[in-house]
Amino acid sequence: MTGIISKLFALILLISVCSCRNSVTKQGNLNFPIADSVPAGESEKLSDEAIADIVQNIASPVEIAAILQSMNVPFSAEFLTTTQGADRLTTNFQKAMMMGIYGADLGYLNMYEKTGNSVDVLSTIKRLADGLRVGQYFDFETLKRLSVNKSDLDSLLFLSVNSYNKIDEYLRENGRGSISALMIAGVWVEGQYLATQVVSDHPDKILRDLIGEQKIILGDLLMLIRPYRESSADYASLYNKMEKISVSYRDVRITYKLGEPETIEQDGRLVMIQHEESNVEMTDEQLMKIADLSKDVRNKLISGK
Amino acid sequence: MKCRFVILSCALIFLPIVLMSQPSSDALVSSCVLAAGENTTYLKDFRVQLPKAASATASPVYKANMYLMKNMKYRFSVCDAPGSKGELVITIFDQGKELISSFNKGTGKKFGSIDFICNKTGLYTLWYGFSNGEQGSGVGVVSMIK
Repeated sequence: MTGIISKLFALILLISVCSCRNSVTKQGNLNFPIADSVPAGESEKLSDEAIADIVQNIASPVEIAAILQSMNVPFSAEFLTTTQGADRLTTNFQKAMMMGIYGADLGYLNMYEKTGNSVDVLSTIKRLADGLRVGQYFDFETLKRLSVNKSDLDSLLFLSVNSYNKIDEYLRENGRGSISALMIAGVWVEGQYLATQVVSDHPDKILRDLIGEQKIILGDLLMLIRPYRESSADYASLYNKMEKISVSYRDVRITYKLGEPETIEQDGRLVMIQHEESNVEMTDEQLMKIADLSKDVRNKLISGK
Repeated sequence: MKCRFVILSCALIFLPIVLMSQPSSDALVSSCVLAAGENTTYLKDFRVQLPKAASATASPVYKANMYLMKNMKYRFSVCDAPGSKGELVITIFDQGKELISSFNKGTGKKFGSIDFICNKTGLYTLWYGFSNGEQGSGVGVVSMIK
Protein backbone atom coordinates (compact mmCIF):
# COMPACT_ATOMS: atom_id res chain seq x y z
CA MET A 1 0.00 0.00 0.00
CA THR A 2 2.83 2.35 0.99
CA GLY A 3 4.49 1.49 -2.33
CA ILE A 4 1.42 2.42 -4.34
CA ILE A 5 1.06 5.74 -2.47
CA SER A 6 4.75 6.45 -3.01
CA LYS A 7 4.50 5.75 -6.75
CA LEU A 8 1.36 7.85 -7.00
CA PHE A 9 3.05 10.74 -5.21
CA ALA A 10 6.09 10.46 -7.47
CA LEU A 11 3.83 10.46 -10.54
CA ILE A 12 2.01 13.61 -9.38
CA LEU A 13 5.36 15.24 -8.65
CA LEU A 14 6.63 14.34 -12.14
CA ILE A 15 3.51 15.71 -13.82
CA SER A 16 3.68 18.94 -11.81
CA VAL A 17 7.39 19.42 -12.62
CA CYS A 18 6.80 18.85 -16.33
CA SER A 19 3.76 21.09 -16.46
CA CYS A 20 5.69 23.92 -14.74
CA ARG A 21 8.29 23.87 -17.50
CA ASN A 22 5.61 24.42 -20.13
CA SER A 23 3.65 26.99 -18.20
CA VAL A 24 4.42 29.78 -20.66
CA THR A 25 1.84 28.53 -23.11
CA LYS A 26 -0.80 27.90 -20.54
CA GLN A 27 -1.43 31.24 -18.95
CA GLY A 28 -4.96 32.43 -18.38
CA ASN A 29 -8.11 30.46 -18.82
CA LEU A 30 -8.95 27.72 -21.24
CA ASN A 31 -7.80 28.65 -24.73
CA PHE A 32 -9.81 27.62 -27.73
CA PRO A 33 -8.49 27.82 -31.27
CA ILE A 34 -9.36 31.14 -32.84
CA ALA A 35 -10.92 31.39 -36.25
CA ASP A 36 -8.79 33.69 -38.38
CA SER A 37 -11.27 33.68 -41.27
CA VAL A 38 -8.90 31.65 -43.43
CA PRO A 39 -9.55 28.00 -44.21
CA ALA A 40 -6.76 25.78 -42.90
CA GLY A 41 -6.05 24.44 -46.39
CA GLU A 42 -5.13 27.90 -47.65
CA SER A 43 -2.06 28.04 -45.48
CA GLU A 44 -0.70 24.92 -47.11
CA LYS A 45 -0.26 26.48 -50.53
CA LEU A 46 3.25 27.67 -49.72
CA SER A 47 5.68 25.31 -48.06
CA ASP A 48 6.83 26.10 -44.52
CA GLU A 49 10.36 26.50 -45.84
CA ALA A 50 9.27 28.99 -48.49
CA ILE A 51 7.30 31.02 -45.95
CA ALA A 52 10.20 31.01 -43.49
CA ASP A 53 12.49 32.25 -46.25
CA ILE A 54 10.15 35.09 -47.15
CA VAL A 55 9.75 36.08 -43.51
CA GLN A 56 13.52 36.17 -43.05
CA ASN A 57 13.89 38.25 -46.19
CA ILE A 58 11.64 41.16 -45.39
CA ALA A 59 13.92 44.12 -44.77
CA SER A 60 14.29 44.89 -41.13
CA PRO A 61 13.04 48.33 -40.04
CA VAL A 62 16.23 48.47 -38.01
CA GLU A 63 18.29 48.52 -41.23
CA ILE A 64 16.11 51.27 -42.70
CA ALA A 65 16.45 53.32 -39.50
CA ALA A 66 20.22 52.72 -39.54
CA ILE A 67 20.45 54.14 -43.07
CA LEU A 68 18.44 57.19 -41.96
CA GLN A 69 20.79 57.67 -39.03
CA SER A 70 23.86 57.38 -41.27
CA MET A 71 22.34 60.19 -43.39
CA ASN A 72 21.95 62.29 -40.22
CA VAL A 73 18.19 62.36 -40.68
CA PRO A 74 16.73 63.51 -37.36
CA PHE A 75 14.11 61.42 -35.58
CA SER A 76 10.55 62.51 -36.31
CA ALA A 77 7.61 61.39 -34.21
CA GLU A 78 5.34 62.53 -37.06
CA PHE A 79 6.16 59.36 -38.97
CA LEU A 80 4.87 57.13 -36.19
CA THR A 81 1.42 55.62 -36.24
CA THR A 82 -0.74 56.87 -33.41
CA THR A 83 -1.59 54.30 -30.78
CA GLN A 84 -4.96 55.93 -30.14
CA GLY A 85 -7.78 53.75 -31.30
CA ALA A 86 -5.75 50.56 -31.18
CA ASP A 87 -8.07 49.28 -28.45
CA ARG A 88 -11.02 49.59 -30.79
CA LEU A 89 -9.62 47.13 -33.33
CA THR A 90 -11.96 44.19 -33.47
CA THR A 91 -10.85 41.74 -36.13
CA ASN A 92 -7.74 39.58 -36.08
CA PHE A 93 -6.91 41.00 -39.51
CA GLN A 94 -6.71 44.54 -38.12
CA LYS A 95 -4.87 43.47 -34.96
CA ALA A 96 -2.21 41.51 -36.86
CA MET A 97 -1.68 44.24 -39.46
CA MET A 98 -1.32 46.90 -36.77
CA MET A 99 1.01 44.69 -34.77
CA GLY A 100 3.35 44.66 -37.75
CA ILE A 101 3.04 48.42 -38.23
CA TYR A 102 3.76 49.12 -34.55
CA GLY A 103 6.63 46.61 -34.70
CA ALA A 104 8.31 48.70 -37.40
CA ASP A 105 7.71 51.85 -35.33
CA LEU A 106 9.31 50.11 -32.36
CA GLY A 107 12.42 49.36 -34.47
CA TYR A 108 12.58 53.01 -35.53
CA LEU A 109 12.19 54.23 -31.92
CA ASN A 110 14.78 51.78 -30.65
CA MET A 111 17.37 52.66 -33.27
CA TYR A 112 17.05 56.35 -32.43
CA GLU A 113 17.14 55.39 -28.75
CA LYS A 114 13.81 57.09 -28.12
CA THR A 115 13.22 54.25 -25.75
CA GLY A 116 11.29 56.33 -23.23
CA ASN A 117 8.70 57.03 -25.94
CA SER A 118 8.44 53.39 -26.89
CA VAL A 119 6.58 52.26 -23.75
CA ASP A 120 3.28 53.38 -25.23
CA VAL A 121 3.98 51.44 -28.44
CA LEU A 122 5.09 48.42 -26.40
CA SER A 123 1.88 48.45 -24.34
CA THR A 124 -0.19 48.66 -27.51
CA ILE A 125 1.69 45.77 -29.12
CA LYS A 126 1.20 43.71 -25.96
CA ARG A 127 -2.56 44.35 -25.98
CA LEU A 128 -2.78 43.42 -29.67
CA ALA A 129 -0.71 40.29 -29.05
CA ASP A 130 -3.03 39.33 -26.20
CA GLY A 131 -5.99 39.92 -28.50
CA LEU A 132 -4.46 37.47 -30.97
CA ARG A 133 -3.74 35.05 -28.11
CA VAL A 134 0.01 35.23 -28.63
CA GLY A 135 0.76 37.66 -25.80
CA GLN A 136 2.69 34.97 -23.91
CA TYR A 137 5.49 35.29 -26.48
CA PHE A 138 5.83 39.04 -26.13
CA ASP A 139 8.14 39.72 -23.21
CA PHE A 140 6.49 43.02 -22.35
CA GLU A 141 7.81 43.47 -18.81
CA THR A 142 11.47 42.96 -19.78
CA LEU A 143 11.12 45.13 -22.87
CA LYS A 144 9.46 47.86 -20.83
CA ARG A 145 12.20 47.69 -18.19
CA LEU A 146 14.92 47.90 -20.85
CA SER A 147 13.15 50.83 -22.51
CA VAL A 148 12.52 52.81 -19.34
CA ASN A 149 16.08 52.28 -18.11
CA LYS A 150 17.47 53.14 -21.58
CA SER A 151 19.43 49.91 -21.38
CA ASP A 152 21.65 48.68 -24.13
CA LEU A 153 20.21 48.69 -27.62
CA ASP A 154 21.27 45.16 -28.50
CA SER A 155 19.28 43.63 -25.65
CA LEU A 156 16.25 45.66 -26.65
CA LEU A 157 16.52 44.74 -30.31
CA PHE A 158 17.22 41.11 -29.51
CA LEU A 159 14.16 40.82 -27.28
CA SER A 160 11.93 42.69 -29.73
CA VAL A 161 13.04 40.59 -32.71
CA ASN A 162 12.95 37.43 -30.61
CA SER A 163 9.38 38.13 -29.46
CA TYR A 164 8.19 38.70 -33.03
CA ASN A 165 10.04 35.61 -34.26
CA LYS A 166 8.46 33.45 -31.55
CA ILE A 167 5.00 34.78 -32.37
CA ASP A 168 5.57 34.16 -36.08
CA GLU A 169 6.82 30.62 -35.42
CA TYR A 170 3.92 29.83 -33.09
CA LEU A 171 1.35 31.16 -35.56
CA ARG A 172 2.76 29.21 -38.49
CA GLU A 173 3.09 26.02 -36.45
CA ASN A 174 -0.53 26.32 -35.40
CA GLY A 175 -2.00 26.79 -38.85
CA ARG A 176 -2.37 30.55 -38.44
CA GLY A 177 0.16 31.55 -41.08
CA SER A 178 -2.34 34.03 -42.50
CA ILE A 179 -2.03 36.11 -39.31
CA SER A 180 1.75 35.90 -39.44
CA ALA A 181 1.70 37.07 -43.08
CA LEU A 182 -0.28 40.15 -42.05
CA MET A 183 2.25 41.00 -39.36
CA ILE A 184 5.07 40.77 -41.89
CA ALA A 185 3.13 42.89 -44.38
CA GLY A 186 2.51 45.49 -41.66
CA VAL A 187 6.23 45.71 -40.87
CA TRP A 188 7.05 46.21 -44.54
CA VAL A 189 4.31 48.79 -45.18
CA GLU A 190 5.45 50.96 -42.26
CA GLY A 191 9.15 50.63 -43.12
CA GLN A 192 8.39 51.56 -46.73
CA TYR A 193 6.29 54.53 -45.56
CA LEU A 194 9.12 55.74 -43.35
CA ALA A 195 11.73 55.48 -46.13
CA THR A 196 9.55 57.11 -48.80
CA GLN A 197 8.51 59.98 -46.52
CA VAL A 198 12.08 60.80 -45.58
CA VAL A 199 13.38 60.66 -49.16
CA SER A 200 11.33 63.70 -50.23
CA ASP A 201 13.28 65.93 -47.81
CA HIS A 202 16.53 63.96 -47.95
CA PRO A 203 16.99 62.75 -51.54
CA ASP A 204 20.04 60.65 -50.77
CA LYS A 205 21.17 58.06 -53.33
CA ILE A 206 21.51 55.33 -50.69
CA LEU A 207 17.93 55.85 -49.57
CA ARG A 208 16.68 56.02 -53.16
CA ASP A 209 18.45 52.72 -53.87
CA LEU A 210 16.95 51.18 -50.76
CA ILE A 211 13.45 52.15 -51.91
CA GLY A 212 14.13 50.96 -55.46
CA GLU A 213 15.40 47.60 -54.24
CA GLN A 214 12.15 47.00 -52.38
CA LYS A 215 10.88 45.89 -55.80
CA ILE A 216 12.50 42.50 -55.13
CA ILE A 217 11.22 42.22 -51.57
CA LEU A 218 7.70 43.32 -52.53
CA GLY A 219 7.58 40.44 -55.00
CA ASP A 220 8.23 38.03 -52.12
CA LEU A 221 5.64 39.72 -49.96
CA LEU A 222 2.98 39.38 -52.62
CA MET A 223 3.84 35.70 -52.85
CA LEU A 224 3.28 35.42 -49.09
CA ILE A 225 -0.16 37.07 -49.16
CA ARG A 226 -1.37 35.58 -52.46
CA PRO A 227 -2.57 32.24 -51.00
CA TYR A 228 -4.99 34.08 -48.70
CA ARG A 229 -6.41 36.67 -51.10
CA GLU A 230 -9.57 34.76 -51.85
CA SER A 231 -10.24 33.90 -48.23
CA SER A 232 -11.85 37.21 -47.29
CA ALA A 233 -12.55 40.71 -48.56
CA ASP A 234 -9.88 42.09 -46.20
CA TYR A 235 -7.15 39.90 -47.64
CA ALA A 236 -8.28 40.60 -51.20
CA SER A 237 -8.21 44.34 -50.54
CA LEU A 238 -4.74 44.13 -48.98
CA TYR A 239 -3.44 42.10 -51.90
CA ASN A 240 -4.84 44.61 -54.41
CA LYS A 241 -3.26 47.51 -52.52
CA MET A 242 0.14 45.83 -52.46
CA GLU A 243 -0.17 44.87 -56.10
CA LYS A 244 -0.75 48.53 -56.99
CA ILE A 245 2.55 49.43 -55.32
CA SER A 246 4.17 46.55 -57.19
CA VAL A 247 2.85 47.89 -60.51
CA SER A 248 4.39 51.29 -59.74
CA TYR A 249 7.75 49.50 -59.51
CA ARG A 250 7.36 47.86 -62.93
CA ASP A 251 9.69 50.23 -64.79
CA VAL A 252 12.27 50.46 -62.01
CA ARG A 253 15.36 48.61 -63.25
CA ILE A 254 17.94 46.86 -61.12
CA THR A 255 21.19 46.15 -62.96
CA TYR A 256 24.34 44.36 -61.83
CA LYS A 257 28.04 45.04 -62.39
CA LEU A 258 30.24 41.98 -62.04
CA GLY A 259 33.33 41.88 -59.85
CA GLU A 260 35.32 39.40 -57.77
CA PRO A 261 35.17 39.70 -53.98
CA GLU A 262 38.28 40.78 -52.09
CA THR A 263 39.13 39.13 -48.78
CA ILE A 264 41.49 40.61 -46.20
CA GLU A 265 42.36 39.94 -42.58
CA GLN A 266 41.97 43.03 -40.41
CA ASP A 267 42.62 43.11 -36.64
CA GLY A 268 42.21 39.35 -36.51
CA ARG A 269 38.89 39.47 -38.32
CA LEU A 270 38.08 38.17 -41.75
CA VAL A 271 36.72 40.97 -43.95
CA MET A 272 35.13 40.57 -47.37
CA ILE A 273 34.68 43.52 -49.69
CA GLN A 274 32.22 42.78 -52.42
CA HIS A 275 33.08 44.28 -55.80
CA GLU A 276 29.98 43.03 -57.56
CA GLU A 277 27.44 45.87 -57.46
CA SER A 278 23.73 46.32 -57.86
CA ASN A 279 22.43 49.58 -59.28
CA VAL A 280 18.93 50.98 -59.25
CA GLU A 281 17.60 52.95 -62.19
CA MET A 282 14.58 54.92 -61.02
CA THR A 283 13.34 58.31 -62.17
CA ASP A 284 12.08 61.02 -59.83
CA GLU A 285 8.58 60.52 -61.20
CA GLN A 286 8.71 56.80 -60.51
CA LEU A 287 9.96 57.45 -56.98
CA MET A 288 7.23 60.01 -56.37
CA LYS A 289 4.55 57.61 -57.57
CA ILE A 290 5.91 54.83 -55.34
CA ALA A 291 6.05 57.22 -52.37
CA ASP A 292 2.50 58.47 -52.90
CA LEU A 293 1.09 54.97 -53.27
CA SER A 294 3.03 53.67 -50.26
CA LYS A 295 1.66 56.52 -48.14
CA ASP A 296 -1.86 55.98 -49.41
CA VAL A 297 -1.79 52.24 -48.69
CA ARG A 298 -0.31 52.73 -45.23
CA ASN A 299 -2.84 55.44 -44.30
CA LYS A 300 -5.74 53.31 -45.51
CA LEU A 301 -4.51 50.33 -43.52
CA ILE A 302 -4.09 52.26 -40.26
CA SER A 303 -7.55 53.80 -40.66
CA GLY A 304 -9.06 50.36 -41.28
CA LYS A 305 -10.12 51.12 -44.89
CA MET B 1 11.42 1.35 -0.39
CA LYS B 2 11.42 4.68 1.45
CA CYS B 3 15.01 5.22 0.36
CA ARG B 4 14.12 4.71 -3.35
CA PHE B 5 11.21 7.11 -2.96
CA VAL B 6 13.45 9.81 -1.41
CA ILE B 7 16.02 9.39 -4.23
CA LEU B 8 13.32 9.57 -6.90
CA SER B 9 11.75 12.65 -5.30
CA CYS B 10 15.12 14.37 -5.01
CA ALA B 11 15.90 13.57 -8.65
CA LEU B 12 12.57 15.02 -9.78
CA ILE B 13 13.04 18.15 -7.69
CA PHE B 14 16.65 18.81 -8.66
CA LEU B 15 16.59 17.71 -12.32
CA PRO B 16 14.89 20.89 -13.56
CA ILE B 17 17.38 22.98 -11.55
CA VAL B 18 20.29 21.13 -13.19
CA LEU B 19 18.68 21.56 -16.62
CA MET B 20 18.07 25.23 -16.00
CA SER B 21 21.69 25.79 -14.99
CA GLN B 22 22.78 24.87 -18.55
CA PRO B 23 22.88 27.88 -20.83
CA SER B 24 19.70 28.26 -22.89
CA SER B 25 19.93 29.12 -26.57
CA ASP B 26 18.78 32.66 -25.64
CA ALA B 27 21.75 33.00 -23.28
CA LEU B 28 24.09 31.73 -25.99
CA VAL B 29 22.66 34.25 -28.46
CA SER B 30 23.15 37.02 -25.88
CA SER B 31 26.79 36.11 -25.34
CA CYS B 32 27.32 35.84 -29.10
CA VAL B 33 25.76 39.30 -29.60
CA LEU B 34 28.20 40.67 -27.02
CA ALA B 35 31.11 38.90 -28.72
CA ALA B 36 30.20 40.65 -31.99
CA GLY B 37 31.64 43.85 -30.58
CA GLU B 38 30.56 47.28 -29.43
CA ASN B 39 30.23 48.92 -32.83
CA THR B 40 27.53 46.53 -33.98
CA THR B 41 23.75 46.32 -33.80
CA TYR B 42 21.99 42.97 -33.56
CA LEU B 43 19.79 42.02 -36.51
CA LYS B 44 19.07 38.31 -36.54
CA ASP B 45 20.15 35.00 -35.12
CA PHE B 46 20.11 31.44 -36.34
CA ARG B 47 20.11 28.59 -33.84
CA VAL B 48 21.86 25.56 -35.25
CA GLN B 49 21.83 21.98 -34.02
CA LEU B 50 23.23 19.31 -36.30
CA PRO B 51 23.99 15.60 -35.97
CA LYS B 52 27.32 13.98 -36.77
CA ALA B 53 27.91 13.40 -40.48
CA ALA B 54 26.92 9.94 -41.63
CA SER B 55 29.77 9.91 -44.13
CA ALA B 56 32.90 11.99 -44.74
CA THR B 57 31.46 13.47 -47.93
CA ALA B 58 28.05 14.59 -46.68
CA SER B 59 28.26 16.86 -43.65
CA PRO B 60 24.90 18.16 -42.44
CA VAL B 61 24.34 21.87 -42.91
CA TYR B 62 21.72 24.37 -41.80
CA LYS B 63 20.77 26.67 -44.67
CA ALA B 64 19.06 30.03 -44.41
CA ASN B 65 18.33 32.67 -46.98
CA MET B 66 18.73 36.32 -46.12
CA TYR B 67 18.50 39.55 -48.07
CA LEU B 68 21.59 41.67 -47.61
CA MET B 69 21.46 45.28 -48.61
CA LYS B 70 23.88 47.38 -50.57
CA ASN B 71 25.81 50.01 -48.61
CA MET B 72 25.52 48.02 -45.39
CA LYS B 73 28.29 46.35 -43.45
CA TYR B 74 27.33 43.09 -41.80
CA ARG B 75 29.11 40.98 -39.23
CA PHE B 76 28.35 37.25 -39.17
CA SER B 77 29.46 35.82 -35.82
CA VAL B 78 29.43 32.16 -34.87
CA CYS B 79 29.43 30.77 -31.33
CA ASP B 80 29.53 27.16 -30.17
CA ALA B 81 27.33 25.83 -27.40
CA PRO B 82 29.17 24.22 -24.45
CA GLY B 83 29.60 20.53 -25.10
CA SER B 84 29.47 20.95 -28.83
CA LYS B 85 31.93 18.56 -30.45
CA GLY B 86 32.43 20.49 -33.67
CA GLU B 87 33.15 24.15 -34.26
CA LEU B 88 30.46 26.15 -36.03
CA VAL B 89 31.46 27.45 -39.46
CA ILE B 90 29.54 29.86 -41.68
CA THR B 91 29.82 29.97 -45.47
CA ILE B 92 28.10 32.67 -47.50
CA PHE B 93 26.84 31.92 -50.99
CA ASP B 94 25.52 34.22 -53.70
CA GLN B 95 23.42 32.42 -56.30
CA GLY B 96 25.19 29.14 -55.65
CA LYS B 97 28.68 30.66 -55.75
CA GLU B 98 30.71 30.49 -52.54
CA LEU B 99 31.81 33.98 -51.53
CA ILE B 100 33.52 33.40 -48.21
CA SER B 101 33.78 30.96 -45.32
CA SER B 102 34.83 31.45 -41.70
CA PHE B 103 36.99 28.33 -42.14
CA ASN B 104 39.93 28.47 -44.52
CA LYS B 105 40.36 24.94 -45.84
CA GLY B 106 43.83 25.76 -47.20
CA THR B 107 45.36 26.99 -43.93
CA GLY B 108 42.99 25.32 -41.50
CA LYS B 109 42.41 28.67 -39.81
CA LYS B 110 39.00 29.35 -38.34
CA PHE B 111 37.55 32.81 -37.66
CA GLY B 112 34.86 33.65 -35.12
CA SER B 113 33.27 36.14 -37.48
CA ILE B 114 33.14 37.47 -41.03
CA ASP B 115 32.71 41.14 -41.86
CA PHE B 116 30.87 41.55 -45.13
CA ILE B 117 30.91 44.90 -46.93
CA CYS B 118 27.87 44.51 -49.14
CA ASN B 119 27.64 46.29 -52.48
CA LYS B 120 24.89 44.24 -54.04
CA THR B 121 21.40 43.94 -52.64
CA GLY B 122 20.18 40.42 -53.07
CA LEU B 123 19.28 37.09 -51.63
CA TYR B 124 22.27 35.33 -50.09
CA THR B 125 22.38 31.83 -48.69
CA LEU B 126 24.04 31.19 -45.36
CA TRP B 127 25.32 27.70 -44.67
CA TYR B 128 26.03 26.75 -41.09
CA GLY B 129 27.88 23.51 -40.43
CA PHE B 130 30.29 22.01 -37.94
CA SER B 131 33.97 21.41 -38.64
CA ASN B 132 34.83 17.86 -39.70
CA GLY B 133 31.14 17.01 -39.83
CA GLU B 134 31.02 16.69 -36.05
CA GLN B 135 27.81 16.81 -34.06
CA GLY B 136 27.22 20.18 -32.51
CA SER B 137 25.02 23.09 -31.59
CA GLY B 138 25.61 26.77 -31.67
CA VAL B 139 24.31 30.10 -32.88
CA GLY B 140 25.04 32.38 -35.75
CA VAL B 141 24.37 36.07 -35.14
CA VAL B 142 24.01 38.64 -37.90
CA SER B 143 24.79 42.20 -36.85
CA MET B 144 25.08 45.49 -38.61
CA ILE B 145 28.39 47.31 -38.26
CA LYS B 146 27.80 50.96 -37.41
